[in-house]
Amino acid sequence: MPARLRSLLNASALCLWATLCLVSPAWAALPLPELSHTLTALKPAKAAPDFALPDLDGKLHRLSDYRGNVVLVNFWATWCPPCRREMPSMERLSQQLKGQPFVVLAIDQQETPDSVFVFTGQLDPSPTFPILFDRDSAVAPAWGVLGLPTSFIVDKGGRIVYRAMGGRDFDHPDIVRAVRELLKK
Amino acid sequence: MQITRLPSRRLCLLALLLTSPALQAAELTQTRDPDSGLMSWKKQDRGFSLELIQLYPDFVAAVYSSRGLPPAVVDSMKEYCVFGSIAQNQSGGTLAYRVADWRYVTPDGQQHRLKTKPEWVAEWKKLGADFGWSILPAAVSFDTGDWAQGFTTVHLPPGSRFDLIYSWSHHGKRYTGKLENLACAPAKPAER
Repeated sequence: MPARLRSLLNASALCLWATLCLVSPAWAALPLPELSHTLTALKPAKAAPDFALPDLDGKLHRLSDYRGNVVLVNFWATWCPPCRREMPSMERLSQQLKGQPFVVLAIDQQETPDSVFVFTGQLDPSPTFPILFDRDSAVAPAWGVLGLPTSFIVDKGGRIVYRAMGGRDFDHPDIVRAVRELLKK
Repeated sequence: MQITRLPSRRLCLLALLLTSPALQAAELTQTRDPDSGLMSWKKQDRGFSLELIQLYPDFVAAVYSSRGLPPAVVDSMKEYCVFGSIAQNQSGGTLAYRVADWRYVTPDGQQHRLKTKPEWVAEWKKLGADFGWSILPAAVSFDTGDWAQGFTTVHLPPGSRFDLIYSWSHHGKRYTGKLENLACAPAKPAER
């Protein structure tokens, strides 16, 4: 569906987002910590639980289909302030590594494609990577996610090698370096 | 050779010890947002940082109602004083905390449990809803640079005063911290 048409049709989602913005000044103004740039290495690396989730257009994405790629799996939601802050850095990382076997999969928790669509249109840069929908939060517990955002880096062999709980600056040189190392393997 | 290197090693060790988060004194920061009038308290102590930020009851109700959650869920929050909360690991190692171990102390000296995320989720499930992600994770083991955030709920009316006794563990040792004289946000913003 063309973006403009979808945007027009999504008046209800727009209303929801406007409501959130109206009630959000205090939330948005929270003195959140700086996005950090550390990754916790998981030793030993463990097999990433597979999932099959739809994207904004209803296309199903299965993690195992991305075997051979380094995958950044990010659990998030639009109402979560650090999730919103870190998402542009995920897109910048994705752009930096364009042409290499690197994929970002951002898994939204318990929201509708309409509300996410309205949100992502406001980001700069706007995400070009797939945003997937875990509508009933069935996938997140299998990954041991306790809070949002939480991110994982999966190596080419489908093993979780890094974890990050809380917001990250994903195009920080330290994280870029870690991902590049995985891409070399 | 060894004799000349020993003092510098000792100096390095001393410098490391002095800069270690474990030995640094607790640091409390209290701020008031000039726009909203809301207070926040942040304590950094032996590698663990906990911050509580006041939220107006109307704001909390709006967060839940704007998600289309049943009115019963919105109402369930009204009896609670809600804070935005951020727990950070600044230790250089792995830290763990359990909200179930934390207590708030009312002016009469009584200690009370905090309602945890699993308890909220169980209650909301009965009402046909789930917004558990909004609540501070109840039991976390996290690493340097990691942080957890979400609402902390205290069963007190707006404007109430209390102390919060919280704990965390690091390298198998349990530590306790205290945030004193915290205040729930008032029912409404002050008139200007």
